[in-house]
Amino acid sequence: MSGGKAHGPSKHHNPHAHVIHQPGRRLMHGISLKFVQNKVMGHGKRATNSALNLVSFIDFLITTVIFLLMSFSASGEITVDKNVKLPKAENVEDIIDAPMVAVNGNQILVDGVLAGSTRSVEELGRMQKIDELFSILKNKRELWKQIQPNKPFPGVCILQVDQNVPALVVKSVFQTAAFAGYPNVSFMVGKLPKSGG
Amino acid sequence: MGGVDVGGEGGKKKATNAEINMVPFIDLLMCTIAFLLITAVWVTNSRMNADAQVPGPPNPDKELTPQTPEKVLNLHVNESDFALIWKQGATVVSEIRVPKNNTDGDIIRYPELTAKIKTEWEANGSHRDPADKKFDQAIMHSDNRTPFKEIIGVLDSLYGTRRMVKLTDGEKEFPVFNMTFSVR
Repeated sequence: MSGGKAHGPSKHHNPHAHVIHQPGRRLMHGISLKFVQNKVMGHGKRATNSALNLVSFIDFLITTVIFLLMSFSASGEITVDKNVKLPKAENVEDIIDAPMVAVNGNQILVDGVLAGSTRSVEELGRMQKIDELFSILKNKRELWKQIQPNKPFPGVCILQVDQNVPALVVKSVFQTAAFAGYPNVSFMVGKLPKSGG
Repeated sequence: MGGVDVGGEGGKKKATNAEINMVPFIDLLMCTIAFLLITAVWVTNSRMNADAQVPGPPNPDKELTPQTPEKVLNLHVNESDFALIWKQGATVVSEIRVPKNNTDGDIIRYPELTAKIKTEWEANGSHRDPADKKFDQAIMHSDNRTPFKEIIGVLDSLYGTRRMVKLTDGEKEFPVFNMTFSVR
């Protein structure tokens, strides 16, 4: 605040009064030329400094807060392997909680743990059961059954497959998951807005 | 600045109108907006179902009765077209071909295939009643080199046709087909 120059200390009887000022506008009080000060403060024709309407400003802020609160997701973002570029589709369903199998150009990972090599499946040139993936998924299924013995096992797993991975690898992973007790396989995709037709 | 009007002022003891300080109020709103913007999830991922069609163990107490096989849609993904073949057991019921026209460049979509699958299901589909909880079966035949994005494009077309299914908690819309891969 630069009010000190406009209201000099000589006007106050109290020696400490210079720290307390009368409330009011403070900006542009330091302009020494009176006609310039009048011009910029609006005493002339048009003020260069305009006041903000607080009512509409607060309305805007509250609307933004409500919109963001409604679109807020407490469960957070599902982590997608950084080497996986997901394809996009229109007719999709919501994601559910299930083991994630990521398949990129080189590796197969189950919840971030290495479970096989994509290259070795491609090099073999035919469909095969991926042993590491099979044992990891089987262990996960047995663990689930031990934790929840009275519930039927849903047998769902989600595949995050890179869009350029060949069908041979997809089918091998798909079949291995089915062998390990996960016959309901879902493919993770990016959601496209619904087209009119 | 801001004020809350709570009725007429008594004028004797205490003012009924109270002023709230707008500065901390706006600060709070700004902080909330900043927090929500930082924690917002902008990328939405979804899933597409597939079924490996693993048969359950046979029941030794139940006598097996031979059943007529259902009609199954065999969808062949070829180099330049798609073949939609309805088969009942080994018998071919109908066969049509749809040219492969990808309209969207990087995003693979086959609107012509979607429309054809819809008309084919309307002509040959077995499970149409809302009370029927079973779905028609589709088998996808594709070359081993077919990229995954193309498989998803075909799957998207296959799941484009939907029907209502009666559940205990009301009706819900589901795709008419259940897809699995063909294995040789």
